[in-house]
Amino acid sequence: MASLLQPDRVLYLVHGEKKIRSPLSTLYFCRYCSDLRSLECVSHEVDSHYCPSCLENMPSAEAKLKKNRCANCFDCPCCMHTLSTRATNIPAPLPDDPSKTAMKKAYYLACGFCRWTSRDVGMADKSVASGGWQEPENPHTQRINKLIEYYQQLAQREKLDRDRKKLARRRPYMPLAFSQHTIHVVEKYGLGTRLQRQRPGAPITSLAGLSLKEGEDQKEMKIEPAQALDEVEPLPEDCYTRPINLPEVTTLRQRLLQPDIQPAGASQLHPKHKHLLIKRSLRCRKCEHNLSKPEFNPTSIKFKIQLVAVSYIPEVRIMSIPNLRFQKECQVLLTLTNPVENITHVNLVGCEEGDPEDINSTAKVMVPTMELVLAGKDAAAEYDELAEPQDFQDDPDVVAFRKSNKIGFFIKVVPQREEDGDVTVSFKIRHDFRNLAAPIRPSEEGDAPTEAVWLTHHVELSLGPLVA
Amino acid sequence: MPLFEGLGSGGEKTAVVIDLGAAYTKCGFAGETGPRFIIPSEIQKPGQQQSIKVVQYNINTEELYSNLKEFIHTLYFRHLLVNPRDRRVVIIESILCPSHFRETLTKVFFKQFEVPSVLFAPSHLMSIMSLGINSGLVMDCGYTETLVLPVYECIPILSAWEALPLGGKAIHKELDGLLVEQCTVDSDSSTGQSLPTVVGSIPEEVVEDIKVRTCFVSDLQRGLKIQEAKFNLEGTAERPTPPPDVDYPLDGEKILHIKGPIRDSVMEMLFEQDNEEKSVATLVLDTLVKCPIDTRKVLSENLVIIGGTAMLPGFLHRLLAEIRLLVDKPKYRDALATKSFRLHSPPAKPNCTAWLGGAIFGALQDVLGSRSVSRDYYNQTGRIPDWCSLSSPPPESVYDAGKTPPPLMKRAFSTEK
Repeated sequence: MASLLQPDRVLYLVHGEKKIRSPLSTLYFCRYCSDLRSLECVSHEVDSHYCPSCLENMPSAEAKLKKNRCANCFDCPCCMHTLSTRATNIPAPLPDDPSKTAMKKAYYLACGFCRWTSRDVGMADKSVASGGWQEPENPHTQRINKLIEYYQQLAQREKLDRDRKKLARRRPYMPLAFSQHTIHVVEKYGLGTRLQRQRPGAPITSLAGLSLKEGEDQKEMKIEPAQALDEVEPLPEDCYTRPINLPEVTTLRQRLLQPDIQPAGASQLHPKHKHLLIKRSLRCRKCEHNLSKPEFNPTSIKFKIQLVAVSYIPEVRIMSIPNLRFQKECQVLLTLTNPVENITHVNLVGCEEGDPEDINSTAKVMVPTMELVLAGKDAAAEYDELAEPQDFQDDPDVVAFRKSNKIGFFIKVVPQREEDGDVTVSFKIRHDFRNLAAPIRPSEEGDAPTEAVWLTHHVELSLGPLVA
Repeated sequence: MPLFEGLGSGGEKTAVVIDLGAAYTKCGFAGETGPRFIIPSEIQKPGQQQSIKVVQYNINTEELYSNLKEFIHTLYFRHLLVNPRDRRVVIIESILCPSHFRETLTKVFFKQFEVPSVLFAPSHLMSIMSLGINSGLVMDCGYTETLVLPVYECIPILSAWEALPLGGKAIHKELDGLLVEQCTVDSDSSTGQSLPTVVGSIPEEVVEDIKVRTCFVSDLQRGLKIQEAKFNLEGTAERPTPPPDVDYPLDGEKILHIKGPIRDSVMEMLFEQDNEEKSVATLVLDTLVKCPIDTRKVLSENLVIIGGTAMLPGFLHRLLAEIRLLVDKPKYRDALATKSFRLHSPPAKPNCTAWLGGAIFGALQDVLGSRSVSRDYYNQTGRIPDWCSLSSPPPESVYDAGKTPPPLMKRAFSTEK
């Protein structure tokens, strides 16, 4: 039954800031901390940028300059599909002989999905295949840059004031002339109460009181404050009588793709460069080692570092479930797979009463008490016919079958609750782990094998509903 | 773009500016002229077709934390494409944002993404920054509500705030009701069916699209006549000729016939005065009345309208006309001496103005650091200061959002059916 192999049937518990239960296939294993990590307890970082249509890698400096957009690829403003460049031949006069005309190639952009072309918005055909298309500029760019420069001057003044106040020593209070007292008061309390002490998080007073005064410093910039208008343009008269041509009016989504202009008419929709995608790398928060680092090349799906949990932790899977009846003991067949190449010893321990991690189980479970031995994963095993079958003394009541690095074993389940819902059992799995990442000590004792560390994981199984 | 863009004077990277609205989120980098992306504030859970709104104030902390975490994850790794650890964050927020939401958002940023610092900037104040003036009366017409806050000499006059739940959400509800009541759908098998029998219920995105593409705000004279015809107290009022009908395609096969009268009358709900005589236009005047007398003239001549709902065609013209009409009414004539009203046009679209102000502020690397809440400060104190509870944390009972929902602002004359 394929539903038994669904990933969320078997959940492993991750000890992080929050206890997270998730299938082993979604977890990572930090072999420096020797602990499981889930996506929520690792920090994500941007590794490299690439364009999804031309699959070209972009160094991050260039990506920042190009505002994370590809230089060659465009998106259709109507349907957001990738635009393709098409060429036509147009007659054009030769540069040296105006009377003769020769065929020249002209390029335009077209969408294969919604049939939009760059000619629909009035963009002239270009003579070069790529690099000729410009995006329209924001008309307010100059004004905004001026505003930023003006405010930067104010900010600099505020910073100087702040630094000066910090460095200036407070004069000790001297019961002298009144004028000196006032100087002292002004210095102690600042310029009146308008400039409060800049407490972090206090509501911003936005550089209050720091407007540039007249004639102070000729080199400083003045900004023209924006002029308010008395009248606003009303709606055109034909708005009330003209029937709307719906395809001519842009939808909200199309408008929001171009935040600077947000055109209302479809004849002003210009194509935008395609947005890049990133490859992400993951890092353990505790030891700052990389858990997952993808390849640089966008066309490659491999990883440089790939510390996924399925390649270090034995995986439990459900093989078959009999009919589960309330308060009746049933035998469930599970499989245990060994991902590493050396022999692994596994102990299963049931959860004790009052275990804080055991919150979901609705049935009592009896796990085999003896130690299970798993053979190492041998990639060449299926091709090697002369291999001697390894001899493990298996108790047939416990171990149902053994196949290379996998064994099937029985557990006994007694459902305790009669309610609707899945029967859930949990137990702890204890296995030995050889840490190959540990630094190689200089061999004083000759050939010291790497020590095995015993790791314990809490596993929860969802066995399905009760049968009446 | 300044020539030295991208390097920074001290090598510090440009900050990330995020405006987390109830309907749309604007995100981008400081120092730029517009947000990089305007995306809906929703997340999609695998297996569920309906997307979940991120900005909800009534859900419990756990769910809000995981929603926000997922949303900000897509913001950083799908749209902004930068490492969260490297850049400071400027968050544009509404001053009426509940402390619970703010605290959860801060926790997501500091604990999950480990940003160096966070700055919460009020949206009304930031809009003033985008204009280069020091005072202004800012009205934010958003999705959940319309909020007016005056700012005088760069300080918000907090006691004079006014708000009404008349925003995109109310318009969508009204429009949905009108469509269900009055419009017919043609499908390939039948014509002229009423809407609920064919489709069931229209998803909100479709209603929003209908609003954006077909509806508009009539000017003052026409609007008043439409309102009279609707209430029809004397029985003689005649409605001005409606605009033509629109055939709107739904799902490819079905066509929804939108009646002409809906197109111009649905927006009247913003300007109809309810039993308390409040409308979007009276908010401005009520705020002015609450402000100190000396500030009123400056404020009335520096009106700034921001927010997505203000982008409806004809809205600004109608708003100014309504304000000028109302200021002559007896209620305000004696209270307000100033009669001149002027409107600013910021260097950005109204839905990005607050973001632009935040981007300008975020570009000031000299002061951004000192005014932000750093990660060390948050780790030490465990909370972020809020204007309503600067030193002591709010009482725990506020956080049990599941038990008693906070009282929502209801209009006296409600359009809920």
